[in-house]
Amino acid sequence: MRQAAPIVCTLLLLGAGTAKAQGFNLKAPIATQPTLVTGVGQSADIEMVKVLLNRGKVVFKADPQAKAGALAATGSKSLVLVIGGSSKGLGAAGISAEVDIERAKGLVAEARKLGLKIIGLHVGGEGRRGQMSDKFITGAVPLCDYVIVVATGNKDGLFNQLCGKGRIPLDSVEKIANAGAPLLKAFK
Amino acid sequence: MKRLLALVALLLVVSGLTAQEPFNAAGRGAHGANGVVATAKPEASQVGIDILKKGGNAVDAAIGAAFALGVLEPDTNGIGGGGFMILRLATMKEAVVIDFREVAPAASKPDMFKLDERGRILNHAGTDGGLSVGVPGDVAGLLHALDTFGSKKLTRAQILQPAIHMATQGISVTANLDKNIKDSLEKINAFPACAELFLQEGLPYEIGEKIKNPDLARTLTIIAKKGVEGFYKGEIAAKIAAEVKKQGGILTVQDLATYAIKVRKPVQGTYRGYTILSVPPASSGGTHLIELLNVMETFDLKALGQQSPATAHRWSEAMKLVFADRAKYMADTDFATVPLAGLVSKAYARELAARISPKESMTAPLPGNPAQYESGSTTHLSVMDKDGNMVSITKSIGLLFGSGVLVPGTGILLNDHMSDFMPKPGSVNSIEPGKRPLSSISPSLILDPKGKSFMTIGSPGATRIFTTVAQVISNILDFGMPLQAAISAPRLAQPHTGNLSLEARLPAATQKALGTLGHKLTLRGDWDPYFGGVQAVLYDSKTRQLVGGADPRRDGQAIAY
Repeated sequence: MRQAAPIVCTLLLLGAGTAKAQGFNLKAPIATQPTLVTGVGQSADIEMVKVLLNRGKVVFKADPQAKAGALAATGSKSLVLVIGGSSKGLGAAGISAEVDIERAKGLVAEARKLGLKIIGLHVGGEGRRGQMSDKFITGAVPLCDYVIVVATGNKDGLFNQLCGKGRIPLDSVEKIANAGAPLLKAFK
Repeated sequence: MKRLLALVALLLVVSGLTAQEPFNAAGRGAHGANGVVATAKPEASQVGIDILKKGGNAVDAAIGAAFALGVLEPDTNGIGGGGFMILRLATMKEAVVIDFREVAPAASKPDMFKLDERGRILNHAGTDGGLSVGVPGDVAGLLHALDTFGSKKLTRAQILQPAIHMATQGISVTANLDKNIKDSLEKINAFPACAELFLQEGLPYEIGEKIKNPDLARTLTIIAKKGVEGFYKGEIAAKIAAEVKKQGGILTVQDLATYAIKVRKPVQGTYRGYTILSVPPASSGGTHLIELLNVMETFDLKALGQQSPATAHRWSEAMKLVFADRAKYMADTDFATVPLAGLVSKAYARELAARISPKESMTAPLPGNPAQYESGSTTHLSVMDKDGNMVSITKSIGLLFGSGVLVPGTGILLNDHMSDFMPKPGSVNSIEPGKRPLSSISPSLILDPKGKSFMTIGSPGATRIFTTVAQVISNILDFGMPLQAAISAPRLAQPHTGNLSLEARLPAATQKALGTLGHKLTLRGDWDPYFGGVQAVLYDSKTRQLVGGADPRRDGQAIAY
């Protein structure tokens, strides 16, 4: 029984337990302002992140399709990726999922060269999961320095898995509005 | 200990399943002896059932449910939009179609939208803002049906009361509405009145929270008291015209005062001995539903196999041919000559079917741009009662959240159906004053081989509407599937150019074989609302029960008694 108890606890943490909100795991601010906000998957969730940043008076520019070559010229000191796919958004942008993922990877690579920290947000919840969104999540989350997720989007623990058990700090919040607090704390 | 581990394992399985299957695919259907109402919202279906229980007929129930849907699904339909309805009372020899589609304002011009070098409307003016608004027909159409075909046992106020109550008390944000709001944030934020209603300090409501629309309750109360004039004349009309003008549009109080519904004769065909009755232009849907079914009838689908590559290939090829005809011929018949008889003839279908090779996917027969008609919202409801009365209504405000123009003080969100016109001169579907833009809406009725009431069916889903309805009809009549299973079965959609879209749960072997035949595939979600949201009711003569089915891809629910 003693031996089984830790196994049970571990299983619970991996499964149903991952749906629970977690405390803020980012211990100190990592990002500098101004920041550049871009979409990964072209969902309208970027609009929600703009509201959160405005509420916190974070200085930012938003470009859903920001490209690597133009990053330096924006003067941005950090990068915020709003992750989640939208066929409507991709259609409006006239690009495929694969093209958008490549754009995001290129942008991140350029950000690394420039020494920028990268924050990933998934604020679309359960509705922004599924085959298409998961492509963007699995592509972008491992590239981030810090990730914030609305809990209903992480019921299966995908974000925990992609963040490598603490390798990338991950904070989970119950509501979209609650994502503002950890997001602001990430900025110096 | 073994029990504990088993419990944990079960918890993990359930947790995993929940993440992969986020909605309730079961429990959408219902059956009963007296009546069934199948709509896109359980609350609206309950409104219809309550009306039937009070002695109303299927029309009363449908109109009550339709007004309720306008409140419950503000993102897809409402009194700022329009639609089509087909109904047949058991006492009527022939069904009638009520066309309450929006019309172009009197000041409209074929070149009223500015285009870029690729022919696309600049600055989203075709879908967002005042210029995109057509004269709404929803109130005129619903009240015409109620006044003409209702039982007269319930007053207009009684029919509208549930909708008024819902607008006052608030509607729950479901996962479906949550996603639609999040997908449309850019549009919602562009119009402050719209943002004020659908957002809380700039952010979406959480799932389960309520959105109240007391202004809409007040408007519906005025309509309940004054009827059609309460909407098309006076205070409400003045506010609509003023807001449209403020948002750059051209709709006037005169346009509203002169709006008229059209009562039309259904377009008619047969499939496997069953009579298909549907809506004629200004919707293309009914005509092309019959054309598509006529082509598919030439194939022995049962022998080819359900969800087999051979069957899926034929659906895809037939859809290409039908969409080619749609692009070339379809328009409002009040303004253009459309070869309706030819399009629905069996002989023409045989000619089209002969062009389909079983071995390869054909190149699109005609060039075109079906994407311009894309409009994924809309709603559908179906009602049948114990007397055999049948009603099928599909109504819409266009794209999700319509034009985004929410009329202050009225709660009315206006349509963007001007986007369904061709935005340049020279097409049969070019803009003209008073003309109805081309639609794919296809509410339909089906009679059994003896001519008795069999089924009422329809769907939202833009240009996928009639292709979706056709597949569900085939699932029932070719493969003998129960109604709910026929609705839930995976779907495909093929425009006349571009990729074949499939729900990803279509068998992998079929997907692979379609690739071999030359189809380029777009795999969409397992249960993707892109493929519509069918609501249907049928009469099962063996059990003498009315059976309702509703679509799990959205919030559909059938209720019976």
